[in-house]
Formats: sequence, structure tokens, C-alpha cells
Amino acid sequence: MQNIEDIGKKLLDMIARSDVPRDILKSPDIKKLYSNITQLPAEERGQYGRSVNELKVNLETAVLTREAELEDSTVEPLDVTAPWDVNSAPNRLLDTEQGTQHPLTTELENVVNIFTRMGFEAIESRQIDDDKHMFGTLNFHEDHPARDGYDTFRTEEGFIPPAHTSTMQNRILLSGKEKLESGGQIAAISYGRVFRNEDVDATHEHTFYQCEGVFVSETANLGQMLGTLRSFFETYYGQKLKIKTQPAYFPFVEPGLEFAIEKPAALGGKPGEWLEMLGCGMIHPNVLMAADIDPTKYRGFAWGGGIERLVMLKYGIEDLRHFESGKIQFLRKFK
Amino acid sequence: MIVSLNWLKKYTNINLSIDDLTLLIGARLVEIEETVNIGEKYKDTVVAHVIEAKKMEGSDHLNVVLIDDGGQNKKVDRDSNGYIQVVCGASNIATGQNVVWLPPTSIVPSTYSSSEQFVLDSRSLRGVISNGMIASPKELDLSDEHEGILVLDSDIKSGTEFSKFLELDDYLLDIENKSLTHRPDCFGIVGFAREVSAIQGLKFNTPDWLLQGSKFQNNQINNPIDLQVIIDNSELSSRYAAVVMSDIDNTRQTPLIIQSYLSRIGIRPISAVVDVTNYLMMLTGQPLHAFDYDKLVAVSGGRPEIHVRAGRNGEKLELLDGRIISLSEEDIVIAAGETAIGLAGAMGGASTAIDKNTKNIIIESATFNLYNLRATQMRHGIFSEAITRFTKGQPAELSMPVLLEAIRLMGEWTNAKCVSKVVESYPVELTKSRIDFSINTVNSVLGSDIKSDLITRTLENVGFEVQLNKDGIIATAPYWRGDIHIVEDIIEEIGRLNGFDNINPTLPTRDFSASLVSHFDEFRSQIRKILVRSGANEVLTYNFIHGDVLRKSGQKESNSYKIINSISPDLQYYRQSLTPSLIGLVHPNIKQGHGNFALFELNKTHQKEMGLTEENVPVESDMIALVVANKNSQSGSAYYQAKKILDYLLQVLEIDLDYKTISNTNQDSLYAPFEYQRSARLVSGLNDLSIGIIGEYKKSVSKAFKLPDYAAGFEINVAELFELYQQKSTSYRQISRYPGSERDICFQIDNQITYSQIINAINDSLKKVELETSVAPVDIYQPDNGLIKNITVRIKMTSHDHTLTGDEVSAIVKSVSDSVVSSLRAKVI
Repeated sequence: MQNIEDIGKKLLDMIARSDVPRDILKSPDIKKLYSNITQLPAEERGQYGRSVNELKVNLETAVLTREAELEDSTVEPLDVTAPWDVNSAPNRLLDTEQGTQHPLTTELENVVNIFTRMGFEAIESRQIDDDKHMFGTLNFHEDHPARDGYDTFRTEEGFIPPAHTSTMQNRILLSGKEKLESGGQIAAISYGRVFRNEDVDATHEHTFYQCEGVFVSETANLGQMLGTLRSFFETYYGQKLKIKTQPAYFPFVEPGLEFAIEKPAALGGKPGEWLEMLGCGMIHPNVLMAADIDPTKYRGFAWGGGIERLVMLKYGIEDLRHFESGKIQFLRKFK
Repeated sequence: MIVSLNWLKKYTNINLSIDDLTLLIGARLVEIEETVNIGEKYKDTVVAHVIEAKKMEGSDHLNVVLIDDGGQNKKVDRDSNGYIQVVCGASNIATGQNVVWLPPTSIVPSTYSSSEQFVLDSRSLRGVISNGMIASPKELDLSDEHEGILVLDSDIKSGTEFSKFLELDDYLLDIENKSLTHRPDCFGIVGFAREVSAIQGLKFNTPDWLLQGSKFQNNQINNPIDLQVIIDNSELSSRYAAVVMSDIDNTRQTPLIIQSYLSRIGIRPISAVVDVTNYLMMLTGQPLHAFDYDKLVAVSGGRPEIHVRAGRNGEKLELLDGRIISLSEEDIVIAAGETAIGLAGAMGGASTAIDKNTKNIIIESATFNLYNLRATQMRHGIFSEAITRFTKGQPAELSMPVLLEAIRLMGEWTNAKCVSKVVESYPVELTKSRIDFSINTVNSVLGSDIKSDLITRTLENVGFEVQLNKDGIIATAPYWRGDIHIVEDIIEEIGRLNGFDNINPTLPTRDFSASLVSHFDEFRSQIRKILVRSGANEVLTYNFIHGDVLRKSGQKESNSYKIINSISPDLQYYRQSLTPSLIGLVHPNIKQGHGNFALFELNKTHQKEMGLTEENVPVESDMIALVVANKNSQSGSAYYQAKKILDYLLQVLEIDLDYKTISNTNQDSLYAPFEYQRSARLVSGLNDLSIGIIGEYKKSVSKAFKLPDYAAGFEINVAELFELYQQKSTSYRQISRYPGSERDICFQIDNQITYSQIINAINDSLKKVELETSVAPVDIYQPDNGLIKNITVRIKMTSHDHTLTGDEVSAIVKSVSDSVVSSLRAKVI
């Protein structure tokens, strides 16, 4: 035992003075300590082994400390307030022609801008939320099979990276309630990142962007929803468009629809070609009630769709994985 | 889910082309992913009569067969009697049979959809010409049976097209199940046909046996078996019905046409008993299960007694597929007496499985709690047709009519007889949903103008009972529509069945008040544009990172929200700051040939240490981060390149931030990747609050992320930056009519004195004069010894009321110099 302590002391001392402290972990002294184990009487081996291991851990810690110390001492502090380095010319910005904005944020700004002009207020969607906002206030019964379709991630605490921007709907309704009840309307969009627990390939991503809209008034109806959405897409594509729908099931709307537009000429569309753009419907009374809005007095419609699809159609991007790849090669295509 | 068009046509008229039908179903019911014309597969296949079958000489199993195809095929060689020669290896071939002939150039149907189609021809087998082949059920894609050829009834005419005979001139519709999650009725042909009828505006007649039940023939009333069924907990099952049938004739087969319908939608025919249960499930959406009665009674110790109960912890059950599972209290179990014999709704047990010797059976028709079944499905990984239907919530009312129809079919197909009463446990009968509504409500929700009679007709077409009263309509939902609860559900039906696309799109009216724009969004947009102008590329990176990225960045895992069900270890943790994601992109981009670049991202970060909001959800931080890197070493430190970009950003935004040193004890995870001696805290002079960091990275971080020597960056809280932006005052001072004067001064100072100390000292001194002044750096020189440095600045002074004289300027410069010299122990050189 005494032996271990002595060797430990010696090695720790060496580490504290070494320029390459990690080398000392390879010292033959340590190997010898381990090989000693087999020569000990069986009843002493346990205690001895534990002591050797303890020493090993202490040495590792000492190495890390010494390494940090060495790193620190080799670092030359800077005058962080200076405009440029000593004995150097003033720094210049990079070539402005190299700079690019990400196509998704460009398109989001564009979409938000059109809706704002149409009279909708915009809020950004949260990136971590709870079950109540993701499902509970949106008429998803606990354990409802419709929840399966969302493939949500969960954290240890039970928080959810939202799988749709509808996670903001209850907040939008709550904050607009007063305006609604004093004779106004609720007109808002929420936009941002959403997450699904999916394998990634050219057409699937676990992280993507959505934009969601909510409109509530005393007279809102399904015809107005179709007109509003058509108006958005006509502005977005700068041309008249035909629309069509398909029944769909989302627990937070009733009736629920999928909304499609005839593929615009700008995208090389021919008559009879359709693009599914988003899901929509009349807000379910339970969703209004969850925000304490009287569904017998007020009605609303809501919709939500992906942003990547708009960008991919616009530029002819073939692979969803490019967006979050951080490849300069890709980014610089959007000048 | 696959739906056969011909099967639908048995229950409803369809007067549309397949394309029009597909469009109409898409617009008014559900998305069809694909339609497949299976008629194509059987295009050339015909029924033929075996004129003669004799053993081939020199072969122990081949037969030389002459067949008559009624003269249908025009290309094949025939003998003088007009018969066709085919070599056939099947042992069950015999003279006088009707068989199915696949002529030369036709494709074997079972290979039709595969990548390697098998095309038949005329070829010589041991010197004997064989024209095409005589087909087995497997080759016809009807079942797995390939022991012998398919032998048809004798009354079919030779030359009959096989597809006509078995109604295989059919289309299959591949339905997107997801949007029918709430419609268990549509998971059966009858329910689907009802919808197809209604979307064409036609009334649907639900078969009587589904409304009232088949007439039940009790064949063995004298000495019936006393079958008992008991639901132990009514929360697990709302109805359980069963009957015992005996004397199964195992030599009998399911009618061929039924086999062909099952197989075309993906259900393999197995035996008549199993086929009855599958056929009725596909027809009605009600799954059935058949137990071997004798095995069940043996298990239960002689009593025909079935319990529906919760599984018991630690209880084991061997399933039909041979797996032995451990049950939990959430599973629903069918038990014979005390012993579990099946996983309710999911899969039967091995101990009571039907086999080819089964004589007596118990048929079960029941409903189970869909939430328990969903849990069972996930826990044991069972995705059968039955559980898919049960988890949509089949109505309890359906169980009995389907059981009665099963008794009828079992009798017809297997000759079995009932030997018990039909018994059931039905603890809580459900009440039908009645909705009272006005026509005005319908039209004000839809924005439509639909009249009362159309509303009535629409609802009656899908089985609602409709009563008119003076205020409106009372609609009672049929038992299979458990999804109808509120008036909106009715409105959906009316809008959908008449076509939402027939509603006129309008716009909501609103006043001219401008909608509020988000200034924060505008601010972030402005930052993007400025950084783009400074030559940087905006990136978006994932919120979730691998634990290694945290460790490599010096951030503690315990400060990250951890994802527990991630598909990939790359998505384990929420990131605490943007910097690790950005510096992770530097090396890959350098490898792709980019030598000098800056990447930035505006996004949210999450740290447990930040706590929760008032809503009890994690605090989110809006951050802006940038990294600038050059693969070649440069004169000067990378820090100043990052600072150049940040200074530019702040200058355009007109925000003042101070760069202050960092102590090495700082534990902020935002700071963790940065080398404290070569980084600065970004501090607002207004409130002395640190809102971010700029600097070079720790050596260990650089090494771990393979960064080049020349790399630096910053990360700042955008919301706090925005606060400062909003507080800034816009000031404008008129341009002076008098020219300004400039003087350069070079101060020699100790290396410890910072640039900002010089500038602050100069500015303090200049405050005393009533002039417009500015100070700009000209040169920063340090001799090799590193102990001192020379900082040259240019001072510009302008008066608003006269041209400054040389003496005035010298006096000011002297006073500035003196004050800097005295306060910073500088030397003017």
C-alpha cells in the first residue's frame, strides 16, 4: 500500500511539471502496480486493486488539470477592445457578393409579409412546448390514435418539440379573445420550426417549417376560408388560380379539408395538375372553448402548411436534406 | 387499405368511369393513393377443358395433356382436332377437368407485379412441345396453394375468360387510411360502398342482415352446450357475443370467387372457417375470431366458459405466430376459465388455434376498448387487419348482426351447425346520437345556400333518420356512426357529400385598420440583410445535437433537455447555444473547397438552467451566432475579423456595445466553447448587462471540431439586442459650415493598457471643448519585445461657429495628450 502512495505522489509531481502530462499515464510504474495484483494473496487483491484504480482516476484528473493549465499559459491574451490586431492592417469585411440569405427564411419573410398585408398578425412558433398546447387544447383526446400521425419527440420531462405550428393556436385565441369580444376579429398566423420523429431522406425531414393561420369572427365560414387561401396563393404566385379540396381528418377542425391549387404557370404547370398545399378547416368548437371563446357566438377557420414545399417548387430543389445541411455550395445558389 | 371496385359494385351502383370515380372519391371522401387495374394481369388467361391427360414416356411425373380452349387463342399450334398440347407436372391433372390455361406470350399472374415477369412460350420439354401452362392457384395469385393445378367446376364453358368467371376484371383502390381514422365504418366494403353511393347522390340500402341480423337457426336446441361469456370489467369490452358450432367439414372449401376476392385485397385464403371470419371482417369492418372448441374446453378444465379480463402482470401467453409474450395489466385477455387463451382484438393464442382437424369451434364477435388495444399494439408490435379495425372503435351494435351472418356462412361453407345458444355479454347499451339543428346553422358555417330537402336527402343517403320540425331538423345517426356528436359533424357530412368545392369562395370583410407588424421580426430580418451584405452566409441547423457535440464544446449534458425517443443518437439533446452547430460546419465546408467564409444563424436555444415561463414551458432564447474562418493563416488574429463584422452590424443598427474581458471562472454555457483570454463579453453601456460573447475558440474545441487556426465568432441574445435597438435615440446635428481640422497623435503605452482606455481618455478630455469631434484609429504597432505598444489615432475637430485656427487645434491636442499621458502613463511620440 505504501508503495502505491509513493508511486502516486511521484507521478502526480511529474504530471504537475510535465509539458506532455498524458505521456506519464503510460509509465511502467503503473503497469507494475497492476501486475503486482496477481502476486498478492487473494484476500488482499480487492483492496489493492481498488487503490490502484483510485490512483489511476486521480492521475487522469491531474493530467486534465495540467493540460488546461498548459493550454492557458500558451494562450496569448488579446486586447479585445482594439479595432484590429497589433502590427496588422485594418480588417475588411468579406466579399459582399458571397453573402446569402437562407432560402427558407427568405420565403418565410415573403409569406409572413403577404399575410401581414392581408391583415394577419404574425407570431413565431415555439420550439419546445407541452402536451397541453400541442394536443390537449386542440381536441386530441389522450391516447387518441390521431396522435400517432404526428410522431412526436419527447423530452425526459414530457415536453414536446412541437410537431405542428398549431401548438400556438390556443395562445393566439386567448390573446385575441378580448379584441374579438369587443367587436373585432382574430386574424393571426404563427410560423416556425416543427419536428417529427422520422428518418431523414430526400423527401422526409425531422425538422421543417410551417405556417399556420387562424381567423375567428362572428361570421367566419368555410367559403371565406377557401377565398382567403385562394387569395394568398394568387398573391404569392401572381396569377389567378383554380382551387380544389379533399376531405381530411384533423381533430382540431370540423369540417377538415386538404387544400390544393392548380399548378401555376410560373412552375410549369398544365391544366389538370394539382398541388396539395395545406390542411385546413373550421375550428372545432372544443378548440374555441379551450380558449374560453363561445362557439355558439363565434366561429373560426384555421390552416397550416409547410414552407419547404413552396421553396422546393419555386427553385426546383430536389432534396429536402439540403436545407439544414449548412453546405456553402447550396447556400450560395440563392443570391 | 385496398378496396375492390367489383366488390363495391355488389352493394352500390357506380355509373362513373374509374377516373371520374377516383376524382369524386378524392374530393368527397378520402384520398386514393393509387388505382390498379388487375384485369390486365389475367388478360389472356382462359378456362380450358382437359380432353386427355396421359403420362409422358420416360418421365415419372410429367403428363402430356390435350386441352380445348374453345378455339379462343388464334396464335397457338393445334392438332387436327383443334386441341392444344400442354405438358403439365401436376399430379392432380385428369381427363375431363376444367382447368385454367395460360397461353404462350401471356405472363404468369403471380409474377405480373414483380420486377421479373415470367412470360410463357411454346417450348420443347424432353422433345414434347408444351404450349404455355396449366396454372395452380398460386400461379394465378389466388392463394399459396401450389401442390396441384386449380380445378374448376365442370359446368364452365371452355374458352371463358378466367377474369370474367372470377370477376377479376377489377380495379383495386389503394386508400390513404389516415384520414379515415375516425370512420371505422369505412374499413368495411359495405361502409365504403355506402359513402360511394352517397357522394354520387344515390340512396344506399344497407343489407337487412346488417340492420336486423340474419335469421338465426338454432339447429341443436334439444341438448345445447351451455356456453358462458363473461366480461369481467366493462371498461375493457362493451360487448362480447359468441356461439358454438360443430361438425365442421374440413374437406369443403371456401367458394373460389370468395377466395379470389380475399386474395386480391391481400388476404390469403386459408380454410373455410378462417375465410368466413376474414371475409366478414373485410365486408363489415367487424373482426371475428374462431377458437377450436375442444382445445378451449380442455384448457378450461371442461367448462365452456369465456372471460374477458385484464392481463395479469407476469402472465405468459403463446400467440398463434409462436411468440410467447408477457402480459401487462393494460392488455385485454380472452380467458378460458382462468387461463389466458388469446390477446383480445390482437391475436389468438396457440393453445386454441384452428387446425385442419378442427371439428368444433367457438366464434367470437366483440368490441374492445380501443385505447387498451392501441397500447397492446405498440407494446407487442401487432399490426393485423383486425387490430387496425378495432383501434378505430367499431360500434358494439355491429357485433351481433355479423355473428349471425357468420353462423349462416359457416353453415353454407363448412356444413357446421350451431350447438349452443348465441350468448352475449352487453353490459352497457349505447344510445344513438341525436342532433337538433337549423338549416341556417349549416349554411352559415359553410357559407353555402343548401336547401332543406337536399340536407334531408344527403343525410338519409348515408343512413341517418331525419325528422323535420318547424325550427329545423333532428338527425339521428345510424349505429355505425360513432363519430357524430355535434352539429359540426353533421355540417361536415352535408358539405362533404355535396362537395366542398361547390361552395363559393369569398373573403371575410374587415376594416381598414393596419395589422400590427412584429418589430422584432423586422429587426431580425434587418440583421440578416446586414450580415448578408457583410459577405456571410445564413444557415439553418438542427435544434437537436449528439451528446458528443455538447462534450466537445465544453457544455454540460445536464443543462440540455434530453429527447428520450429519438430515432438517432444525433438527435439526443436540445442545443444550449448555436455556436457548436456553426463551428461543426466549418471543417466540412473547408473540405469542400471553401477557404474563407462566414456562417450565421438566427434561431432559438434552450437551457434547463434558464427555467420555465409562466406557462410552465421552457424559456426559449432567441440568438444570433456567427463564425468566420479562413483555412490559411492570416496576419493578425481571427478575433478581429469577427469583431469587424460585429462592429459593422452594430454600426448599421446604431447600437453601442462595450467589449469587456472575461474571467476564467465564468460557467455560462454560452461561453463554454470560447477561449476566455481571447474573447470579450458584449456589454451594453446602458445597463451594464452582458448580452453575448465574441471571441476565438478554446484549443480543445478547435481540435475537436477540426477548426483552422484562423477561426472566431460571436453569439448574442437577439431579444436583448432588440431592447437596446428600441432604446436608441435618433439624433441629428446640423452639418457645420466651417471646415474641420484633423491631427494624428501616437501614444506609446504599456501593453496592459487597452485600446478602449485610450479612446475613452481622449473622449473624456474632448468633452470639455464645445466642438464636434471624432476619434479614429490609424495604426497599432507593437515592437518584438511585446511590452509596449504604439497606438496612433486621428482626432477630428469641427466648430459650428468659426474656422478653427492652428493654435486652437494645437491647444486642444495638447490638452488631450496631457490628460491621456497622465491618466494612462502614456508617452506621446
